[in-house]
Amino acid sequence: MTSDQGSREIDLTVTINGMEVRRRVPARLLLSDFIRDEVGLTGTHVGCEHGYCGACTVIADGDAIRSCSTLAVQVDGSDIRTVEDLASDGELTPMQQAFHENHAMQCGFCTAGFLMTLESVDPDDYREPEQVVELLSGNLCRCTGYQNIVKAVCSVWGVEGRRRDSQ
Amino acid sequence: MKPAAFDYCRPASIDEAAAALASSDSAKVLAGGQSLVPSMNFRISQPSLLVDIRDVEGLDGLEVDQDGVSIGASVTQSRVMNSDEAYSAVPGLRRALRFVGHLQIRNRGTVCGSLAHADPAAELPALAMAAGARLTVRGPQGERTAAADGFYLGPYWTGLEQSEIITGVCFPAEAPGTVTVVDEIARRSGDFAVVGLAAAFDLEDGSVGGARLVSFGVSGRPQRLAAAEEAVRGFHAGAAGDGLYGAAYEDAADAVGDIHASGEYRREALGSLLVRTARAVSASNGGKAGAR
Amino acid sequence: MTVQMKVESPTGINPMIRHRSGHIGSSLPRREDRSPLLGRRRYVADLKLPGMLEVAFVRSPEAHALIRSIDTGPALALPGVHAVYTAADLAEVGSFPHTIQYIRPVDQRPLAEDRVRYVGSPYAAVVAADRYTAEDAAALVSASTEFETLPAVAVLDQALAEDAPRLYDSWPDNRLVDFPAEKPEVTKAFEEADHTFTETYVSQRQTGLPLECRGVVAEDVDGQLTVWSSTQSPHIVRTTIAMMLGIPEPQVRVILPAMGGGFGAKTHQYPEDIVLAWIARKLGRPVRWIEDRFENLVSTVHARDQRHDVEVAYDDDGTIRAVRCAAYCDVGSGEIFMPGTATVFVTAGCITGGYDFPNMEVRPVCVVTNKTPSGAYRGFGTPEGMFVMERIIDRVARLTGADRVELRRRMILQEDQMPYIMHSGGKVDSGSHAKGFERAAALIEQSLARAKARYADDPDVRVGVGYNNYVEPTTPTYHLTTGHWAGYDSATIRVDPDGAVRVALGNTDLGQGAETTAAQLAAEALGVDPDDVTVVMGDTDRAPYGLGAWGSRGAVVMTGSVLMAADRVLVKAREIAAHMLEASSDDVVLADGGFHVAGSGTPKVSWAKVATAAWARTVDLPEGMEPGLEMSGYFEPPDLEHLPGADGKVNAAATWSNGAHAGVVSVRISTGEIRIEDYAVVHDCGTMINPMLIDGQVHGAVAQGIAGAMYEHFQYDPETAQPRFASFMEYLYPTCSEVPEMTVEHFETPAPEQPLGVKGCGEGGTIGPPAVITGAVSDALADLGVDITATPVTPAAVRRAIREAAARGAAS
Repeated sequence: MTSDQGSREIDLTVTINGMEVRRRVPARLLLSDFIRDEVGLTGTHVGCEHGYCGACTVIADGDAIRSCSTLAVQVDGSDIRTVEDLASDGELTPMQQAFHENHAMQCGFCTAGFLMTLESVDPDDYREPEQVVELLSGNLCRCTGYQNIVKAVCSVWGVEGRRRDSQ
Repeated sequence: MKPAAFDYCRPASIDEAAAALASSDSAKVLAGGQSLVPSMNFRISQPSLLVDIRDVEGLDGLEVDQDGVSIGASVTQSRVMNSDEAYSAVPGLRRALRFVGHLQIRNRGTVCGSLAHADPAAELPALAMAAGARLTVRGPQGERTAAADGFYLGPYWTGLEQSEIITGVCFPAEAPGTVTVVDEIARRSGDFAVVGLAAAFDLEDGSVGGARLVSFGVSGRPQRLAAAEEAVRGFHAGAAGDGLYGAAYEDAADAVGDIHASGEYRREALGSLLVRTARAVSASNGGKAGAR
Repeated sequence: MTVQMKVESPTGINPMIRHRSGHIGSSLPRREDRSPLLGRRRYVADLKLPGMLEVAFVRSPEAHALIRSIDTGPALALPGVHAVYTAADLAEVGSFPHTIQYIRPVDQRPLAEDRVRYVGSPYAAVVAADRYTAEDAAALVSASTEFETLPAVAVLDQALAEDAPRLYDSWPDNRLVDFPAEKPEVTKAFEEADHTFTETYVSQRQTGLPLECRGVVAEDVDGQLTVWSSTQSPHIVRTTIAMMLGIPEPQVRVILPAMGGGFGAKTHQYPEDIVLAWIARKLGRPVRWIEDRFENLVSTVHARDQRHDVEVAYDDDGTIRAVRCAAYCDVGSGEIFMPGTATVFVTAGCITGGYDFPNMEVRPVCVVTNKTPSGAYRGFGTPEGMFVMERIIDRVARLTGADRVELRRRMILQEDQMPYIMHSGGKVDSGSHAKGFERAAALIEQSLARAKARYADDPDVRVGVGYNNYVEPTTPTYHLTTGHWAGYDSATIRVDPDGAVRVALGNTDLGQGAETTAAQLAAEALGVDPDDVTVVMGDTDRAPYGLGAWGSRGAVVMTGSVLMAADRVLVKAREIAAHMLEASSDDVVLADGGFHVAGSGTPKVSWAKVATAAWARTVDLPEGMEPGLEMSGYFEPPDLEHLPGADGKVNAAATWSNGAHAGVVSVRISTGEIRIEDYAVVHDCGTMINPMLIDGQVHGAVAQGIAGAMYEHFQYDPETAQPRFASFMEYLYPTCSEVPEMTVEHFETPAPEQPLGVKGCGEGGTIGPPAVITGAVSDALADLGVDITATPVTPAAVRRAIREAAARGAAS
């Protein structure tokens, strides 16, 4: 079905984790569903579908974005990275390793979103623990109380840990 | 939570975009989509046609000159926030943007999109009013400009016609002696304000000569605080805050109650927020206080 | 800290289980981490089967209404729609069981039949090619449904009123349960006490809110039904499906893939599991339903919606003589199995927390309203009760001028009182209540002083401290909750021919690290490396029947069942090894991963050699020995009672963890903004199997407790019972910025009756924060006459409390 002004289905070309993907997709297809159902990369999770929880965070042209609040057609021509692209040959990145060692994950459902947010930024912009906390506030975690996530990030980025008692 | 079906187009020129928008009563502009797509996921919004303006020529400019900061319709909030030039010309922009959602939202959300969406609790429309920003609007009849002050009519309701697009906004450079600040009380980091204040104070020798004060999150739209603007004249760091508090409290007589707070809370907190902000700004004597 | 562990063979048959390889107490990093780090962990929503169709449920937009008619025609006409089912189509499916005789029956059908009782109630199911189309069709069904709106019951008082509209026509009122209580000793104490006061305390409606919503995939192949469900109890789901669909249980397999959190919300038996299973059989095609967040907020159980009307008798010196409490729990429509009644019983039973306080009289009442059914959420009634108790203690301190810490010291349980029988029959088996409180109070004292100094120059900011001493009933009975299942759990251990160990458990992993924990236990028991242990759980075909993960039971039941099974494996393995060593089995010991004759340098017999003899080279077995090396243990926790005695008292939990929380807040008077300046937890869950994972449980639970104390609140329109929430913009799940850095310390007081001295640890962290935060805010604003009596304590609530206190002050 197509009106004079637009179309219900759109041809789309994106690069996902270095692989070019061409598809004809419904205009209403969410990027999260495109990544998960069309491309089959299920490491990106859907937690709220209204742009709040951050579980669906992926990197588009270098920027962390919410894939549930983005239509697939909006990233036509973009370069997308998902959690599956982080480790090479199964070798964990330092951040992934730090999440493991610091027990910064429990059910693991939010983990990909946190990792992609962290991957997208320049650690030099986050030298204070408060800045790390503010950055992490765009991703929800229900299991960890965030404490070990902050710890893991600070350990990798060489940030002095979050201060107790707001000293 | 999937959007209802719609037609989609991605015009290359503003004329085509305006024509597409005029073709249907329920066509909508798609810029970053950070408010629109979630509301479509809830099927609260079911546009028949989305006009994606990402490819429209001439909308991606972020220009800073002596007159101010001009922001095109497809410029993201992150791009503005990260611009040191924009910050030095209009410091209020960064101060407002740090309250807008989180990094992931700002990476796609646009300044003009937020101005057009007109959430009554959003920071940017209030800042635009306080800072005296002007919007450039394109419609079937051509281009017009509109002051942000007066543009906001109610919740999600502006002076924009259905067939019009905000193509850009210009924030005038902050004048010497003026300090623009944004502060708010929100329930959580990144949330819309429960009570917010965007304020441009004109300082004279450590006291306030005049101010443009705009509340947000308090009533159904960002709102100039007329009585408080009178009351704040002559305010200084050591001044008693009661008069100013009372004026803001009166200005907010139409404060709304919702699940987060009562109208009474909003009136009280707005008064307190204003007094605390005015104190901090006066104490800094025209410095960069309020930059948090 | 040294720990005296009771490490006896649970079966009492083999002392070799004393073998210590150091796996217990080790913060072993988790084996569960790698797959989610790489994006490879499979949750229900990640499953895709050939020919799979998507299901969307049509949910009531009405809080209370009769369904007059449903026209499925427009939806069926939509391209891509395969079927639309309503209750009429599911006539052959049974109702959810009614297993508890003392609660009134609700006769819950999988799809609402002729009446809906809450917004979100499923009354039709659409099957379509994809979820987008299914939602289009669901919208059409919704638009083609004719309702007759009934008066809604939205608030507790309204539900209790004589002339209240009734949710269930056959009931005389809206009470699902009402257990009047009267204790003569309490009556006497009220007569004797110097003073009394009455107050009402309110805990708001919340939910567990796992980041992964619920989801079900179902497939029927040649009459064999497989259901993948994000449930905390796959075996119970299987039994329920088989029962309701009327099919033999062996023909149903329920699999829990990786779970993205449960927190109690996924313990219940939900209609969607039943409907998906039925559709898969009906259509002969795999079907999938993934709950979206809106559905999750309106249709997954809520919790904690309680009001306590209390009467307190106390003396001039601050002694609290007795408390009478009517504990009302708004259980929503009540349409959920297991029923939402048990939480308020736990509240009633545990309300006295870590205090020696026998004169407690609680009347639990469950009331139905036109809201989402309520049920389990981590903490399961304990946070609500502790909030009430600590507010009472602080009030009495304020009224009498007693010191808040001193008053608690006078009441707190002492080690020489153990085991302590609570007013409810709860048997607090052991603990560090008094020293935990002293430690928490000491930890927070400095913080309080620092915070006071920090804000000394700001007259708008006040600082306060709050305390909580709780007991956490762990490893509880499921019988009072479900009326059917009880309290054991199971493990099957097989040593394969290569010597590798496979442990299959009835417990499940929700994300807490149960797999790693189980591997540590098995490694300890069998003297192998944890890496050589494969753990299987969450699959009814591969794991033995068990009750799943809830009630902070995992550590205890896994310890018991794994040690039992391991013990039996060891006995047999030693006999095989002894035969090979030509020795008496009494002389054979296990060391360094193999068997040898004690005190001799004889060659070792490896696990592989023993297992190979058991499974393959059976000619090497002792004569007459049965082949195989696989044993099961079904562990029924000692001390656990499943039914109340004649006096109505029951020890409904096998073992009781404890903890002390203390926190400092600053409050801005002018705006009501609250900041948690510091938070300290001194925790005791007995012997710790993996301290790192336990800290993780505490951190996460405290964060949820803070969420309940300050943020999360399901609000409904008081007239229409329409939800005033649809998203995370209204339901305020805290971010990293709202959760403070906390200090967590441990005591390890072993459970005297449980294997290895282990107690549960999953829920305790949620208990303290409502009591601590409201206590601290009240303390901060004590000069202003503020005493917080409801959660969540929000900036607006603080301002309201200040205004009301001022009005009271002006009036008096």
